[in-house]
Amino acid sequence: MKIAVGGKGGSGKTTIAGTLARQLSRHGVHPLLAIDGDTNPNLALTLGVEGARDMDFDTIPKEIAERVTDESGKVLSILKTSPDEVLRDFGVSAPDDITLVLMGRVQHAGAG
Amino acid sequence: MEHYDVPTVLDMEAGLEHMSRGTVRHVDTLLTIIEPYFKSMETAARMTSLGQEMGVSSIYAVANKVRTKEDSDALQAFCEQRGLYLIASVPEDEAIKTADRIGVAPLDHEPTAAAVEAIDGLARMLHARHSEVARDRTDT
Repeated sequence: MKIAVGGKGGSGKTTIAGTLARQLSRHGVHPLLAIDGDTNPNLALTLGVEGARDMDFDTIPKEIAERVTDESGKVLSILKTSPDEVLRDFGVSAPDDITLVLMGRVQHAGAG
Repeated sequence: MEHYDVPTVLDMEAGLEHMSRGTVRHVDTLLTIIEPYFKSMETAARMTSLGQEMGVSSIYAVANKVRTKEDSDALQAFCEQRGLYLIASVPEDEAIKTADRIGVAPLDHEPTAAAVEAIDGLARMLHARHSEVARDRTDT
């Protein structure tokens, strides 16, 4: 089950995405991967990640950015090459057996 | 994402142009969040077409911030006219605004809030449909 949530800015998609992820997990869909694809990362808040309010998302590990540019900006090939490593090193724990990865900033860094 | 088979929820970058990046090719379900105003509805329709072009197997519209019967009627009429499958409707909810303001997840702030329960309904529906599809596949 791989769900993408889209909509205009301000439509409430992040609220729905985060809440939906938690509820899917509670109905048995876990472990679950939550991906924040927005360059303005807010999914941690709606997911209920501990300390999300004070979390600093500015620092992007250099290794991920290099991989992105190697693959010509194809962000998803990062997960393809070493998914466990990415989740272990860059995944953030969220409640209900959810791991959050921030991809929006990575894409942005890759393009620059 | 296509080789890593873990259930995933992806919060996409706002707007339409980012869909062309091809991220959406690897998902089986696309939810277009639609609000009861014209531009939002048009965006959802265009996002749905793009999703179909990219071969996403299940595309659903989810109404959000629905306040009145007029809102609800307008959304239903639009979806019917444009062939969008309106799978769930989430009401406008003060609890969500409060949760946002204080920086707490809506589910943790008020689990019985109307909007939170509506999203739970959506979760159950998606889970049920996905299990059905999986069952059909193993039968063939």
